[in-house]
Amino acid sequence: MIGETLFDRILIRAAGTILALLWIAPLAYAVWAAFHPAAYEARFDLLAPLTLENFYSAWSQAPFSRYFLNTALLVGMILAAQLVLCTLAAFAFARLDFPGKSFLFGLILVQLLVMPDILLVENYKTMRALGLVDTIIAIGLPYFASGFAIFLLRQTFMTVPKELDDAARVEGCSLIGVLWRVYVPLGKPAMLAFGLVSVSHHWNNFLWPLIITNSVETRPLTVGLSIFATTDSGTTWSVINAATLMTSAPLLLGFLLFQRQFVQSFMRAGIK
Amino acid sequence: MQISDIAIQIDRVTRAFDRNRALDEVSVPIRAGEFTVLLGPSGCGKSTLLRLIAGLDTQTDGTILIEGQDMRGTPPGARGLSMVFQSYALFPHLSVRQNILFGLAVRKTSRAVQAERLKRVAEMMGLGPLLDRKPSQLSGGQQQRVALARAVISDRPICLMDEPLSNLDAKLRADMRVELRSIQKQLGLTVVYVTHDQVEAMTMADRIIVMNGGRIEQVGIPEAIYARPETTFTASFIGTPPMNLFPASALFSGPANLTVGIRPEDLHLTDAGPRADLVGVEYLGADRLVAGQINGTPFVLRQPAQSPTPRDRFHIGWSQTAMNAFDATTGKRLHDFDFSSLSPNQKDFDHETA
Ligand SMILES: Nc1ncnc2c1ncn2[C@@H]1O[C@H](COP(=O)(O)OP(=O)(O)O)[C@@H](O)[C@H]1O
Ligand SMILES: [Mg+2]
Repeated sequence: MIGETLFDRILIRAAGTILALLWIAPLAYAVWAAFHPAAYEARFDLLAPLTLENFYSAWSQAPFSRYFLNTALLVGMILAAQLVLCTLAAFAFARLDFPGKSFLFGLILVQLLVMPDILLVENYKTMRALGLVDTIIAIGLPYFASGFAIFLLRQTFMTVPKELDDAARVEGCSLIGVLWRVYVPLGKPAMLAFGLVSVSHHWNNFLWPLIITNSVETRPLTVGLSIFATTDSGTTWSVINAATLMTSAPLLLGFLLFQRQFVQSFMRAGIK
Repeated sequence: MQISDIAIQIDRVTRAFDRNRALDEVSVPIRAGEFTVLLGPSGCGKSTLLRLIAGLDTQTDGTILIEGQDMRGTPPGARGLSMVFQSYALFPHLSVRQNILFGLAVRKTSRAVQAERLKRVAEMMGLGPLLDRKPSQLSGGQQQRVALARAVISDRPICLMDEPLSNLDAKLRADMRVELRSIQKQLGLTVVYVTHDQVEAMTMADRIIVMNGGRIEQVGIPEAIYARPETTFTASFIGTPPMNLFPASALFSGPANLTVGIRPEDLHLTDAGPRADLVGVEYLGADRLVAGQINGTPFVLRQPAQSPTPRDRFHIGWSQTAMNAFDATTGKRLHDFDFSSLSPNQKDFDHETA
């Protein structure tokens, strides 16, 4: 940083610390509440007894295993569909010439500007017309052709030197071969970065799944958790916190484990 | 010449872009087993022609035959050629070994054949110890060798090269010129080599194709290109410094529509002959370049460094056989031009300046 004074440094560090504390506070509270008996919900005592009772209780009170399965299926399906569709589309936009190319790309950019929530009603109508209401596919379908992914991958593919493309073709690659052997490997950091964004977004997505699902077999974790937390008057805070931790644990663990790779691929993908 | 001697036949090939014509009705045969150099200034269409031969681009008009087959619609990988790029175009995510074997892997050649050829080529190129490195861990010269190895391992009869040495330093470039040439001879490759560097062209080529503005100026062996340029463009492009071009009126009291070309080394100082003004002198060690002016036309004379430096005014001479005649309007060489029909106008100059 240019011309950073001591005062600047203190200010930046202090602001960073405060933000981090603010951000971690709810999580810290959830951890506290989840691992202690209900009596310590609002009372801080270092000597309070630790317990896993809240987790057992939450797990037995609602079909969380089914919700986990639904969410895993949903997230996996969306990511797979996005990577396949958007890679193909991005490659076409980056390296092929076809009529209406810039118009179509314009449409895709418009998708980046539209808030998904505006489309809830419209999407619901579409899903009903397709007879897909209350299916896992219906939760994911509106997100398959991600404008963000197409844009990001197109930008990445456009940075691949043309001579690499040429060399691969001279060596006998077909169009798909070039994509698979040159563009995809070189686009990996961008794909990893996008994958992280996509998985965390859809793991946590709530409103659309709430509207389009209404049975245990299709409900993802977020919806299941909210129903668990609101309807059952008997559940205590500590149990709800245990359930919340449980549902977000895979994401948190995944991020902590792969933190270094994620940050690196974000850097390399040019998103900071 | 038999048909089978011709590896690539370019026949009235035009490539037009939105704004300009990169190639304009170009026709030329490229002979099998020869080292052919496409030489010309930047932007004259050399790379465009090479990419058309490779099938990486499609001509607007005309035909390209490889081994007698019309190549229209044939993808690059099926044309029986390999290519070396200026930037080397090594795949950064693959190791040296995988880069070299890329084409064989794409074509699903058996493991045994891959291993056997890799051994042979790696040995030939001295790449053995580098096979497990990534391209980013290699020097420019080593990357160049990997690119070459990738072309050679394909065992294809034709190899196209687009300015492959221009990113190397001078010393390495000189070494690679010799090595490239010897590889080409050893394997009997038909090489089409693009460069804007006439030293590369002169030292390596069996045959040079001089290009300018999307057209071919001249095709010939290096000696012919140097000694008998067909156009004033070739005359003024080849040689450092290039051939001097005088309007005939500067030297003779002859026809107006004539340009006379004389190489700097064919000019010498005399006591009689056209009179010139000294502009500058450049000492090159063995030689000395004398820049002068005759009647407003600049020229350069090359003399051995031991000979005396000319004074402010000096006379120049040359042998009859050193002269090249060009049509001043078209720039084309006038074959069989009879120089004895011209009479020197040295008297006039003497008179003017006296
Ligand atoms: N893809 C392209 N689109 C438009 N013009 C091009 C393209 N490729 C080359 N040209 C033009 O064609 C001419 C010849 O280019 P090129 O073959 O690359 O020259 P060289 O390799 O001899 O330097 C240049 O004027 C260049 O601007
Ligand atoms: Mg070029």
